[in-house]
Amino acid sequence: MDLQGNVQVEYGRFEQIVSQFLSKSLHIILDSRVPSIRPLGRSGDLLLSAPVKKSDKWFNLVLGDRPAANLNFYHRNLVEPMIIDIVLVQEVPDSSYEHRPTTTLGLGKYVETVLERWVVQYEYISTVFPQVGESSTSYKKTYKKSIILLRSLYSMMRLLPAYRAFRKLCLSTQASDFDINYKVSSFSVPYSREEEEVMKQYNFLPIDAPQGRLSISVTYRASLSDFNLETSTTFPPQIITDYVGSPATDPFRAFPSSEKGVGATSFPLRGEQSPSSTPFHRPHSWTCGLHRISPLTQPRGGSPPVHRTSTMPYDCLSPPTNTYGPRYQNSTNHRTTSFDEYQLSPPFSPSPPTYFSGGNPLKTRMHSETAPMSIPRSMMGRSPRYLSPNLSDPNRNSLPPFSPRSTKYDPSSQDSASGIRLSRKSGSFRAGEMNSGMTNHCSSQKVLRDSKDDSGRFSGVLSSSSSPRIGFSRSSSRLSFQDDLDDFDFLCPFIVDDVDTSDSHASQNLDGKKGSECTSQAFSSAKKSQDAAVGALVHMLRNAPPLRQDSSCYSSPSSKTELEGEVGAASGFFVSRKTSDALEELRGYKEMQDFLLSKSRTRVVGKEP
Amino acid sequence: MNCEVCQLKELEVEHFEIREVLRCILHTILFHRALGLVRPKDVDLELFEITYVQCGDVELEKKIDEKIDQFIDRVEKHPNKKNQICLSFYEEKKQAVWFTNRVERLYWEQWYINLNVAQQPKSHSGKSHYSKVVVDPGESALEERSHRRAALEASLREVLFQIIKFVNEKKDHVPPIPNLEGVSFLYEITIPSSSDSAFGMDMFKRMLQTGHPTMLS
Repeated sequence: MDLQGNVQVEYGRFEQIVSQFLSKSLHIILDSRVPSIRPLGRSGDLLLSAPVKKSDKWFNLVLGDRPAANLNFYHRNLVEPMIIDIVLVQEVPDSSYEHRPTTTLGLGKYVETVLERWVVQYEYISTVFPQVGESSTSYKKTYKKSIILLRSLYSMMRLLPAYRAFRKLCLSTQASDFDINYKVSSFSVPYSREEEEVMKQYNFLPIDAPQGRLSISVTYRASLSDFNLETSTTFPPQIITDYVGSPATDPFRAFPSSEKGVGATSFPLRGEQSPSSTPFHRPHSWTCGLHRISPLTQPRGGSPPVHRTSTMPYDCLSPPTNTYGPRYQNSTNHRTTSFDEYQLSPPFSPSPPTYFSGGNPLKTRMHSETAPMSIPRSMMGRSPRYLSPNLSDPNRNSLPPFSPRSTKYDPSSQDSASGIRLSRKSGSFRAGEMNSGMTNHCSSQKVLRDSKDDSGRFSGVLSSSSSPRIGFSRSSSRLSFQDDLDDFDFLCPFIVDDVDTSDSHASQNLDGKKGSECTSQAFSSAKKSQDAAVGALVHMLRNAPPLRQDSSCYSSPSSKTELEGEVGAASGFFVSRKTSDALEELRGYKEMQDFLLSKSRTRVVGKEP
Repeated sequence: MNCEVCQLKELEVEHFEIREVLRCILHTILFHRALGLVRPKDVDLELFEITYVQCGDVELEKKIDEKIDQFIDRVEKHPNKKNQICLSFYEEKKQAVWFTNRVERLYWEQWYINLNVAQQPKSHSGKSHYSKVVVDPGESALEERSHRRAALEASLREVLFQIIKFVNEKKDHVPPIPNLEGVSFLYEITIPSSSDSAFGMDMFKRMLQTGHPTMLS
């Protein structure tokens, strides 16, 4: 009969609901209690980019991959209760004579204590055979109510005392003296009298179902203080806001890392409650005023926007159907207001890494990362916003984002002056200063502020010369800076000195003035000591217009022939030029020198009475 | 369809605790009422050892934060001890009344969150009668504070249990779930005026002055 067929179909659907209900509740319970069976690489975050499996859409609660334990229950009789024991396993010293070295910490033996006992069941109550119309609406109602029930189960899992133990276990990076395990069966060993006295019970309101009802209940230990659950975590995941590497410390020392990254709990950061939560102190630490992004409330899952589809009437079996649009990852923080202040940006000025890339590859360490990273050489000459290697690092999601202010600087000046500027920073930009994730915010800010000033000055210098050859070359040549490192270091003092005075000279040159003024200055400097003359020479070289311009407006490099030898060293300062160009320029200067010397001779001759 | 009302247990909070407490409670309620597809997000409170669950909806978070800001403003401007915030769920029904179509709201559930805010000493220095000025917190004051904090944590936990209990016991009044993700029901968060008549008059005056409703949003 058709009516009977419909009823059977409806009942088949109901059986499916019950089966999925049992499976989902098992998933919720184990996911919140047993860390060891969680899928690898999942630290509580749900993979937003991954499409939701149909099986995961049941009861409108996306939980991610199921633990393997779920498979055992697919063939169970639906009428039998599913009893899940959450068991605390502790290693205790063994007082007996036999020594069992097989235990994890070598203490002796394991003691198991039931922390919680969950009973999920479909209670079958035989009644009159239901009508077709009744059964279809009742399945929908049952499904709707079971959605609500599972939500409250999910919340309750986080309110019960055993959740604390679970979180401690999740956070511990080393072997702890306890573990949480589970047992699933259709029967249970009754509690002893002592256990009964300490256990509390909570029953969720059962849901009416066709020919029965669905129920969840739990007996749980009200307090876990008797167990002295301590983990050996010494470095709980937290952001060290005042970390900085000092010159005394090893810049390449490995940072402690945790699998969970920064998606941590509030527990370690409350000093009065967690004695093991001492932050990782370094000498010479300083605070940069960066507010702590609350890692506590940092979500471990993203937030996809609500996908508004048409308001169709609810279909109780809609979960398996694919009516939901694609999701995209939304990396918002729980505190959206505080997150807005930060954006991903390079943790350090792009220039120093490019500079160092030719030499020793700079190994930067971020907080909670252990793998060193080398800055690729190819960053040189590119726009700064592409220069951060960390953006592509998949492990970087645990890092706090950085202020957008660190990216707001003039890229053109950055590029052009970066080569010269790098030399100034070579001393200060050691790995230690760039290691910390959070403090780089300030250090990069500082650097960039400095570099901005520098680049302003440098760009002034460069624009006066308006020669790409004198300044930092933007050519695609991947020159190694290694050879010129020594030159840079050597010439650093000159650069520092020259920068301060070059502005006025640069502006003068920019105005199109006078070789004559420069010449008079050159003559005055020629009377000074040789060292001063060298400085003056360098200064003038940098002010000199490009070779291709009219030679008449060249300023005098020097009036002394002894300084010729220094010209080679000074022109070596301009890294990117080829040797032939430098030689050519040197010849030009020689000619200038000769010309001016001849002029000076005529003047002297003219002045003589 | 009847409207179920739940008055949550009153909580004694300090000013800086309002945000966390309200977030926790509002998100917990909405998680149980967001019956569309959700990806639950665990959030740990900073001030307490409590973890609550969010729906994982960015828009919802923003809305809640906005409302909490409004509530805090209200508390600051009207340092009345008892403050309330109301979360209501409703359905919209179109009604033809006198040749016009009117959209009527039928509320099917209302939650009242009751907070008792301790006064901030700095903002109302001379006026408030309820100020608890702590000039130099000695040991006893610190002990008292930690004791009070522990009591609040226990109370907050009780409130969460209360929510779960209410959600479980009252299910029949929940309308059919639309085929939407996340918070599938229509809801609003309001800050009703307190029962104090002077306070209500004050609000009425403000409404006249500003010209737009400040009570409902």
